[in-house]
Amino acid sequence: MDRVVAWIARLVFVFLYVPIVAVIVYSFNASRSTSTWGGVSLQWYGELFRDGALLQTLRTSLIVGISAAFLATLIGFLAALGLSRYRLRGHRFVLGAVLLPLIVPEIVLGAALLSVFSFADIRLSIFTMVLGHLVITLPLATLILMGALSSLDPTLPEAAADLGASPWQTFTRVLFPLTRSALLAAFLLSFTTSFSNIVISTFTGGVGSTTLPLRVYSLLKTGVTPEINALGALLILLTIGIVSAVGLRQMRRILAGSTPTP
Amino acid sequence: MTPSAPAAVAAPAVRLAGITKRFGDTTAVHPVTLEIGQNEFFSILGPSGCGKTTLMRMITGFETPTDGSIELAGSSVDGVPTRKRDLNMLFQSYALFPHLTVFENVAFELRVRKAPKRELRSRVEAALNLVRLGHLADRKPDQLSGGQRQRVALARAVVSRPAVVLLDEPLGALDQQLRKEMQIELKRMQREVGITFIYVTHDQEEALTMSDRIAVMSQGRLLQVGSPQDIYDRPASTFVAAFIGSCNVIPAVNTGAPGTVTVAGVGPVPAVGGDAALSGAEVWVAVRPERVAASAVRTPGAAQGTLLEAVYIGDRWRYVVRLGEATVTASVDSAEVSPELAALAPGAPVWLSWRPEHARVLTE
Repeated sequence: MDRVVAWIARLVFVFLYVPIVAVIVYSFNASRSTSTWGGVSLQWYGELFRDGALLQTLRTSLIVGISAAFLATLIGFLAALGLSRYRLRGHRFVLGAVLLPLIVPEIVLGAALLSVFSFADIRLSIFTMVLGHLVITLPLATLILMGALSSLDPTLPEAAADLGASPWQTFTRVLFPLTRSALLAAFLLSFTTSFSNIVISTFTGGVGSTTLPLRVYSLLKTGVTPEINALGALLILLTIGIVSAVGLRQMRRILAGSTPTP
Repeated sequence: MTPSAPAAVAAPAVRLAGITKRFGDTTAVHPVTLEIGQNEFFSILGPSGCGKTTLMRMITGFETPTDGSIELAGSSVDGVPTRKRDLNMLFQSYALFPHLTVFENVAFELRVRKAPKRELRSRVEAALNLVRLGHLADRKPDQLSGGQRQRVALARAVVSRPAVVLLDEPLGALDQQLRKEMQIELKRMQREVGITFIYVTHDQEEALTMSDRIAVMSQGRLLQVGSPQDIYDRPASTFVAAFIGSCNVIPAVNTGAPGTVTVAGVGPVPAVGGDAALSGAEVWVAVRPERVAASAVRTPGAAQGTLLEAVYIGDRWRYVVRLGEATVTASVDSAEVSPELAALAPGAPVWLSWRPEHARVLTE
């Protein structure tokens, strides 16, 4: 029985990693077709860096992702601070309202956003897309930061104020150092959520704001070109880079939602 | 009469004028008017939920009074944020910054207030030496014991020499032995640094041991302010009498005769302060057990009661006596217990007496 479980576990692992390995392997395939192996080559990486249109969509995705993640982390931090520190009337309602987009289907959110924008006569652009992504990243960021803040001693900000710290000094000297890893986690999770999003982007993006996932998705109609594999391999490399930079220990702590004691 | 009441030369460290706090329909603090002198060790004593913490938080600026005005050292701080008030607080949870070393915790205020770098190190070291923790400057708070954390918090509160330090039940989390030590330590430090301490506690023994003056609060009201002796020997109400130490509170009627009140089933008993009450009014007589003398033989002027219980507790005997409709406890020094008294069994008659000045007539 144990052997069976062990084998299932191995298969799950293989299943999880086959696509990742496949992307990396095919990014070096000299043949244009994925069905044949034409030897090792770096030509797709070369083509990737010459493909201005694709690089432009990558740039758009980065701009949108970083903006949305930054805003989500900032607003999420303030929301979490308010929700964890003050027991206001309507506390539960506000919390529910912040977290609701987590369970509303994206397609509904996307359509709703589109009708709001067209009703308010706001032209679709990178700006509207950032707003759209903010709707889905803010709940994530708020949730992570609330976990971190609620495990802090609530008297710490009071102690800082008592010792003469302004609200800004309280943030830079006390709250920020104590929630740094949660802030990083909120930023990274918001960024990846935004970076990989297709549905909201479809509804809220305008002319000239095609993101990388939208571009890749539209390429499917003509078949995936090997340079997409090269791009995928680079993104995986970047992810591994971030994970090792942040540190595995840190990642585990972030995902467990606890606060650091640096 | 109040030995430590400040001279009126300098402005009081803290002056509260009609400070009130309401939360919605409930009044947490009824108007409080109070002056706390410079270098005074002032305790606010009351059971939990009596409003003492809210009162303290209004002085620090964490809560805004619904009404009234607060002055620190003669100038109004109404509307002044906490960080600009010349006072520091010692939190019940200590609220040490977990990411900073002991040294940096203590240095926090000096850094925030941009004290000169040259001074900083010597001032932090002086504060740490005051609490005898100079050798632990490089530790993090989670590497310290509860008592040590408490000392760090105290050093952090006094390092900038504020005019006032407020202490919120600071000994609550410590064990009995450490509490006793810290009581003496706190008093010593307060004298050494010459800072006004406002000490909030529900522990009457702590308040009696350390304070120059005590304010007793209950249900949001300030009941009495006075020296420990005042509060103990001359309680102003039955609540104060019963809350501080143990006290016999005997229902009685004011007959209008000077120096006595009448206890049902007993007759007139000596007590002072009855002139404040109307003749015929229902009052209480408060008398401390150690002020009650017990005798096995009839003595002139003593009230006769029935012994319910005699308990030997080493240095004292405690006699629980039914006196009319009341139950009165007499605590007698073992050295002064006569053989006849020691031989008494429950049910035997016993005569209780006290000096008039040791019994207070209370009207509330």
